Amino acid sequence: MNAKNYSNELAEAINAREYLQEQWKAFEMVYIRRIMGITSIDLGYKLQLPIIGRLLRWSAERMIHSEGKHRNPVRADGHFGQVIPLEEAKIILGNLAAEPIIENYCMCRWMQRGIKEACCINFGLLSGVIEKLPRFIPKDTKYRLDRDEAIAHIEEHNKKGYVATVWFQPVPYINAICSCENPECGGLRLRNDFGLHTVYKGEYVAEVDPDRCQACGICVTKCQFGVLRLVQSLKRVIVDINKCFGCGVCRHACKYDAIKLAPRDNYPALRGVY
Amino acid sequence: MFPKKSPKVTIDYTKCGEKGQVDPRECAKCLKVCDPAIFILHESPNMPIDPVDPKYWRITPVWLSLCNMCMKCVKVCPLGAISVSR
Ligand code: SF4
Ligand code: SF4
Ligand code: SF4
Ligand code: SF4
Ligand code: SF4
Repeated sequence: MNAKNYSNELAEAINAREYLQEQWKAFEMVYIRRIMGITSIDLGYKLQLPIIGRLLRWSAERMIHSEGKHRNPVRADGHFGQVIPLEEAKIILGNLAAEPIIENYCMCRWMQRGIKEACCINFGLLSGVIEKLPRFIPKDTKYRLDRDEAIAHIEEHNKKGYVATVWFQPVPYINAICSCENPECGGLRLRNDFGLHTVYKGEYVAEVDPDRCQACGICVTKCQFGVLRLVQSLKRVIVDINKCFGCGVCRHACKYDAIKLAPRDNYPALRGVY
Repeated sequence: MFPKKSPKVTIDYTKCGEKGQVDPRECAKCLKVCDPAIFILHESPNMPIDPVDPKYWRITPVWLSLCNMCMKCVKVCPLGAISVSR
């Protein structure tokens, strides 16, 4: 992990403040606005159109990973994330995240479900941008967190079954750790339903120890990606590693300590596949 | 070869939205009832934009290809503002 990618100096150097202010003041418009003359409305149909679909997919991927000077914040250029296990989220919050650290309302759950839940942890410069927007700031709870509080909160969300993700905004500046649900999270939605690389899988995959597994099935209910399946005849859970995001939330549910995260690279078929 | 057309989902903005009887932020029933979560709540583009604290909101059905035409949104809407068709 590279501490430089969290620093406020980096943020200033790449003009992140301006980018973030523009992006956040109208965040809920990101799917409604026209991008290259086309909105996200009925994106599923548009992506399937023979030529325009290929062009759209190409330009969307290019935008998501843009490092260019002229990236456009209202299209969310250079904004993407990666799934991380709880252990790494704690290291980032405990050591690397720039202060102040705030926990604001999740925009995805607000836009997609009309629910305000404070579970989006942002740091440094981005905190200052979000603090000025009252609709994202919890009224009745403490939203500025010290490092220990931030760690306690991410642990609570993760144990509930929310997937921890770290976000570049804009790349290479890292400034948020989110606790997401599928399909409410806009990033996971674009990845899982439309095949765009807005969120990368983590560096790990789940492994179930057949000797420890008691076939209780509880972990199956925790996985948001349909990776785990209880095979009654085998009396254990099997893992579809191709679908696994390596979030590790299934582990918290297992009373028998039967699930571990193993490096993705241990599986030749998954090397370099995120 | 053109792909399958998505279902058509429309909201009557004279009933729900910036000029309707209901503020979609208060109701939000359709957002919650839809399993594939195809709706997006956002500030209305037809009103002066208030970037700090937007007052006017509406809902747009965005992820149309994922609509399975279960009609739960049509049934749940207290104003009968939603229609779903092929
Ligand atoms: S990325 Fe996750 S936590 Fe952050 S706003 Fe989206 S769903 Fe919410
Ligand atoms: S929770 Fe643990 S014991 Fe239960 S099925 Fe999953 S791996 Fe097996
Ligand atoms: S099986 Fe993989 S994706 Fe599913 S909860 Fe476990 S680690 Fe996460
Ligand atoms: S018909 Fe069903 S799937 Fe389609 S928008 Fe309404 S609730 Fe969602
Ligand atoms: S259910 Fe009907 S009234 Fe309620 S938010 Fe949706 S469209 Fe508006």
